[in-house]
Amino acid sequence: MEFLTVYMNLLPASLAQGAVYAFVALGVMIPFRLLNLPDLTAEGSFPLGAAVAAALISSGWGIVPAMAWALLAGSLAGALTALIHLVFKVTSLLAGIIVLTMLFSLNIRVMGQPNTALFSHDTLFTVLLDADGGTPITQFAVLCVLLTVLCAALFWYLHTEAGLALRAVGANQMMARAQGLSTWRYVIAGLAVAGALAATGGAVMAQLQSYADVNMGVGVLMIGLAATILGEALFGSHTIARQILAPVLGALVYFQIVAVALSLGLRPSDLKLLTGLFVLLALAVPMVKARFRRAPSPSKSEPRP
Amino acid sequence: MTTGTVQDGVHVSDLHKTFFAGTVQEKQALNGVSFSLSPGEFAVVVGSNGAGKSTTLNAIAGELSVDSGSVLVDGDDLTRLPAHKRARYMSRVFQDPMQGTAASLTIEENLAISARRGQPRGFRSALRAVDVETFRTALEALGLGLENRMKDRVALLSGGQRQSLTLAMATLKRPRLLLLDEHTAALDPRAAELVIDATLKTVAGGEITTLMITHNMDHAIRHGDRLLMMHEGRVILDLDKHDKQGVTAADLVERFHDAVSDRMLLN
Ligand SMILES: Nc1ncnc2c1ncn2[C@@H]1O[C@H](COP(=O)(O)OP(=O)(O)OP(=O)(O)O)[C@@H](O)[C@H]1O
Ligand SMILES: [Mg+2]
Repeated sequence: MEFLTVYMNLLPASLAQGAVYAFVALGVMIPFRLLNLPDLTAEGSFPLGAAVAAALISSGWGIVPAMAWALLAGSLAGALTALIHLVFKVTSLLAGIIVLTMLFSLNIRVMGQPNTALFSHDTLFTVLLDADGGTPITQFAVLCVLLTVLCAALFWYLHTEAGLALRAVGANQMMARAQGLSTWRYVIAGLAVAGALAATGGAVMAQLQSYADVNMGVGVLMIGLAATILGEALFGSHTIARQILAPVLGALVYFQIVAVALSLGLRPSDLKLLTGLFVLLALAVPMVKARFRRAPSPSKSEPRP
Repeated sequence: MTTGTVQDGVHVSDLHKTFFAGTVQEKQALNGVSFSLSPGEFAVVVGSNGAGKSTTLNAIAGELSVDSGSVLVDGDDLTRLPAHKRARYMSRVFQDPMQGTAASLTIEENLAISARRGQPRGFRSALRAVDVETFRTALEALGLGLENRMKDRVALLSGGQRQSLTLAMATLKRPRLLLLDEHTAALDPRAAELVIDATLKTVAGGEITTLMITHNMDHAIRHGDRLLMMHEGRVILDLDKHDKQGVTAADLVERFHDAVSDRMLLN
């Protein structure tokens, strides 16, 4: 049973990894699900958060202000995407690509180099756990606490007047305007929150691995999307609580699948192919299902009450 | 509320709108639309396809910017306000039942959105117990049993139920102007009658100034205090309650043809 021993060795670290990407998955869920506005900015705001946190921590800043600035930077990136989309009537996808491309250069500027090591600095994990930054399991515990607070805050927000307004803008912009909601305001707010979440994920990742790299964002969007889709399939999305939990739990499950794939002998470099295939499959299944359902019963058009 | 000043009510003056100006597809949709509604008046708008009825409504609602002209409600000039800021003054029910509600939100959430139309949204809980009771009363008035389904997603409702809900949302917080654009056109006859009945119940009684577009001549003649007929981007006929007495659909068609040929002679 070599597979099992390998997997058991990977398990703790894959849980911690999943918990970090849960932040990103939340940041992907908001535009894709709540706003119905596909947005790729996470690919740039994730490394942005890492770069800002790493640059500040390595120059002696405290962990809390470093993470606060990372969060703020991420929300600005999200807001910028929203503004490009709204002002210049560019699709949200293209607006996000523009921003993430620019962020690549900006992230190098922020760090002064393409990467920054934090090995000799205090991080969230060395401060809260031990000098080595804890074990994967204790790291996972810390991340779970953070995620719980975050999910609770998001749950509360989405049940406030402003949060409900954001969901209405995502559901039907025409109706939202007719009810006096500024669609601009809520699209900007939503993408800013999404950017803040992705950047927080990046800041946490940089501290977890004691290392920030300008390329660490490549593929995070697909991971976030895969986690969201997986979580929704497993846990549903019909209530706000489920819609929030889906990306978080989905990210944890997703990295278990990754660990299994790795222990079966897959190379880490194969993972992006696997993620892409998974998302493709998830998108294809409903379509295939619908076609099958439609084909055999042409007489199912009943009048609606 | 002060009554009797000239400013009160709705004043639409000389709206012009040309789509695709300067191209081969140039289309003059509004060609000087003007009319005024006194407070509480219920006006019905009729006219052939492409007459500019929807464009007029969209211009009043701010969904569309006009080339010239102005829209005033109770003395406030709304002409330069974006749609969401005009929602303080007016509400609307669309032709398409999908457009007036948010399908992925529940019935009570939709009502909660409309309960604060035109007011700032803060960080208070969106669904407070007192409000939910108000929502229940509003739904009961529709007589469709929706008050027992307040936690259902709107996506589960039929077109007629969605239109009725949209109407309830539009009037939950009393608007100074209610805009209805063929809001029963997409419904089957029975549902259409239900929604029209609900509309008359809310609108008649002179509480809400209303502008209703319809293709149903019978409705246009039977209901409302005013009848406006539009053609080629203008109001070509304006009958008040008194003028409307005894008018038949055939009369209207005749008046329409007269008005059109007059205009042709003038041009
Ligand atoms: N967004 C638009 N872009 C270009 N042309 C438009 C647009 N909206 C309306 N038009 C044109 O303006 C004219 C008036 O259209 P409008 O929708 O106001 O007519 P209507 O009176 O509501 O007709 P109907 O009874 O068919 O609903 C039509 O010729 C239409 O093709
Ligand atoms: Mg129309």
